[in-house]
Amino acid sequence: MKRSTLTLALLTLPLAPALAAEAPYRDMTSYIDYGKSPKASDDAKHTNTYQYWKDNRKIDPEISNSLTDFWKVNWKYRDAPYDDTLHGGHDALERGEEVYKQLNAKGDFAACLGAKKGDLKGLRLTYPRFDKELGGIVGLEARIEHCAARQGMKLENGSYDNTAVSVYVTSFSNGMPLKIDVTREPMKSAFERGKKLFHTKAGWTNFSCATCHVSLVGKGLRGQIPTTHYGDIGHWPTWRSKDELQSLHVRFTECNRNAGVQPLKVGSPEYHDIEVFMTALSNGMPVTVPSQRD
Amino acid sequence: MKHTLLALAVMGLAGSQAARAADSLPPNILYDAAREKKTIWPLPVRNSGELKYNEHRQDLSRWPTLSYQDKRDTKRPEKVELQGPLNGNAENGKKIAMNTQRGNCWACHVLPGDPQGGTGGPPLINVGTWGYSDAHLYQQIWDRRVANPATEMPPYGSNGVLSDQDIRDVVAYLQTLK
Ligand code: HEC
Ligand code: HEC
Repeated sequence: MKRSTLTLALLTLPLAPALAAEAPYRDMTSYIDYGKSPKASDDAKHTNTYQYWKDNRKIDPEISNSLTDFWKVNWKYRDAPYDDTLHGGHDALERGEEVYKQLNAKGDFAACLGAKKGDLKGLRLTYPRFDKELGGIVGLEARIEHCAARQGMKLENGSYDNTAVSVYVTSFSNGMPLKIDVTREPMKSAFERGKKLFHTKAGWTNFSCATCHVSLVGKGLRGQIPTTHYGDIGHWPTWRSKDELQSLHVRFTECNRNAGVQPLKVGSPEYHDIEVFMTALSNGMPVTVPSQRD
Repeated sequence: MKHTLLALAVMGLAGSQAARAADSLPPNILYDAAREKKTIWPLPVRNSGELKYNEHRQDLSRWPTLSYQDKRDTKRPEKVELQGPLNGNAENGKKIAMNTQRGNCWACHVLPGDPQGGTGGPPLINVGTWGYSDAHLYQQIWDRRVANPATEMPPYGSNGVLSDQDIRDVVAYLQTLK
């Protein structure tokens, strides 16, 4: 026993730095051509469903009602103005306004989020972004958590109230197209990291996000059909009809565990990088909240 | 007993660097050591600024995650040889194939008697007539990456999801599909 301990100690010391630098072995789903400056319309080169969901005022009911083809409209028929039914997202919008007004009584909460002169219009489009103060990439919800804490209120990233404030702030950008720039650092590297994560296999299944959203897109997985990963971000956060107000990172934890992959903490750098990647793939699609999804 | 404990403690110190790099769980996963299944997931609670955490039905922390701090290797493709006669129980194999938390083959394959079968892989309704040997089928379930590195099919054997006997049972079941 003693002998092996010694050998171990000897072995570890000189090797440790080399080991630390080496990335662990992973399988990857091969990349599709994302280009340097992706946008939602690039989907035309991949699943070629963009034509069916690019304009949610013009959804073809023949496709959205088809049992085999409905996935091609990327669930856009659930967004206003095509679908203007009332749902839990509207309650969240009201709750978000209430909490926001409480936090912003003196105007410094809005300023902390980055609003110019308290104007929330277009603010959503500036996220996710590199945040010098927090020293990394942050999404709107991470920034809300930080700015609320400054006002002495706990709004945990992913919680109902955090997400409700996010819906409220996001609603001021309704109709405006997403447009994050991933051609320049540090967002460029975040995009590249997010792209790599999206294609990295993990879990007991050895699935990547791309296993379902690229390789098995449009295929039936016992009642569930994964859709394209282009054009998704404009309607987030969303109301899930299973009765849950959900932020994007909480959605990631759900996809992770459904796929047999250990989920990460909401607000982790990994989920933020995937958020950058997926937001870039939604560039050009308008913000549409409050929204609802199955 | 005392002896082993001591030796372990010493080893723990000396090997801690290596252990941290290779085996330990990354710090940013949703994990609660106090819960039976360890893996937890966040649930928002109406009009609250805090999340509630529910227990997942399975401990997923044993396998590699997407964490940047996860230094554990994914199991590499394993070539295996079926030893001895198959000795599989087809009835049991069917249960494994049609259990979402075990084989979950029906997520991607159509099997007889399941109208909802998945379409990610080829239908297996008559795989027993394809002329595959038991050894070939055993290898595909143990680790299909050996035949197709880009496969979507989980490596059930290499990843420790199904045991040798489980896979024998599933092979026996597949051979009855005619
Ligand atoms: C086992 C298959 C599977 C895997 C693996 C998977 N997903 Fe999903 N995902 C789905 C299905 C099915 C849906 C619901 C239908 C849809 O919108 O595509 C979905 C929905 C989503 C949505 C919501 C889309 C929207 O417009 O509302 C996002 C975002 C998402 N997935 C991201 C991811 C990310 C990120 C990963 C990897 C961490 C991932 N998914 C892994 C199957 C999967
Ligand atoms: C995530 C989807 C998925 C799951 C789950 C899955 N498979 Fe497959 N399987 C595939 C695909 C896709 C193929 C086609 C070949 C390939 O891509 O490697 C395949 C191929 C096969 C083949 C044909 C292999 C050959 O040599 O022609 C068999 C047999 C098979 N699967 C059995 C199973 C069994 C048994 C299970 C459950 C224990 C299972 N599969 C689970 C996706 C899956």
